[in-house]
Amino acid sequence: MLPVAGRRARSAVTVVLALLVLAGTFVGQDDDFPFGPFRMYATRDDPDGLVRSARVEAVDGEGRLRTVDERSTGLKRAEVEGQVDRFVAAPQTLGLLAQAHSRLRPDEPPLVEVRVVERAYVLRDSRPTGEQTETVVARWTAP
Amino acid sequence: MLRVIVYLFVPVDVLLTTTWVRAHASVPEELYVPLRIGRLLPLPTPGPWVEVFQVVLVVAALLAAAAAVVDRLPRLTGWLVALLYLEWMVVAMSYGKVDHDRFAFLIALLVLPSVGRAALRSREQSEAAGWALSMIALAVVATYTLAAVAKIRFGGWDWVDGATLTRAVLRRGTGMAEPLLDVPMVLHAAQYGLMVMELAVAPLLLVRWRDPRWGWGLALVFLGFHLMTFALITIIFLPHCIALLSLLPLERAVRPAPCAPA
Repeated sequence: MLPVAGRRARSAVTVVLALLVLAGTFVGQDDDFPFGPFRMYATRDDPDGLVRSARVEAVDGEGRLRTVDERSTGLKRAEVEGQVDRFVAAPQTLGLLAQAHSRLRPDEPPLVEVRVVERAYVLRDSRPTGEQTETVVARWTAP
Repeated sequence: MLRVIVYLFVPVDVLLTTTWVRAHASVPEELYVPLRIGRLLPLPTPGPWVEVFQVVLVVAALLAAAAAVVDRLPRLTGWLVALLYLEWMVVAMSYGKVDHDRFAFLIALLVLPSVGRAALRSREQSEAAGWALSMIALAVVATYTLAAVAKIRFGGWDWVDGATLTRAVLRRGTGMAEPLLDVPMVLHAAQYGLMVMELAVAPLLLVRWRDPRWGWGLALVFLGFHLMTFALITIIFLPHCIALLSLLPLERAVRPAPCAPA
């Protein structure tokens, strides 16, 4: 049997955790981790709309085009997408990814250009029409 | 048994399945966008120290797993892992993307130290262990049910009639998933299925069935759902799956301690 104090403490913890996660779900945001809303795939996509997907492309000192991921820049695609507004507003921030690349891959030629490319697929009745566009939404070039 | 699995999963997570967290050590600090918890607590900005911290966390988790096996100092080692892992999560989630796959796992790390001493092969019933297991089970179910609530909150009541799964497959689909793009009806139906599963079926995990095999079967069905998701869009809620194991009678996996002669 648990002592009374142990029971009270456990009841209190249970109530506090439940209130936090409920508050997070109804009014919280991702910022409130670990109690934020479980919003994986919670947004609705228009069946006749666009699906966007961003990727980071880079050009290295030898002129080669490379698609880079978290192993060479330290940021995942979803993280780049999460901060994409910053990259668009201040493209020089993309230079930070080139910096990270030099730290993570010191043996590779440094990146001289980094860009965020957004691909948009056109949907009709929830089915991709095959039509797609690619736009460079942010670009940084080494000074 | 669950304690050993949970603590041994930490090194797996940190070293193998989410290696991108360590990569944040090399990311310039301007890209660090601390979460509320990181702003409230005086936590250091990630930098090269993250690589050392990773080793400390792995060692602490191995110690906690060993402590659970020999039944020595389970509280101290458990608390240590819980705190270190929480900081690891701040490093993980503070760069523009928050994952939702480990709420129940974090709850497990938080409540398991409260169990105190319990021999690995013990079949004794303990209220302390009962509370911890119930909390983990509730957190697992909350993850599903509140995910449905979030879909209604962010996607609206017509989330089920949207094209969210089409987006998921377009962005991350495997070769196995791509044919589904041509049959949007299947993905549309799957959205209804998901909503029903999260809202109605998940709470059944909490039911104490007259034949416990029903409950175990249900837990296995949910594990199967996560495997299928992995096969289709390479997303797996691995920490969540570890917490889901709390619904299975893991103590049966080890031989019971021999009964003392009467």
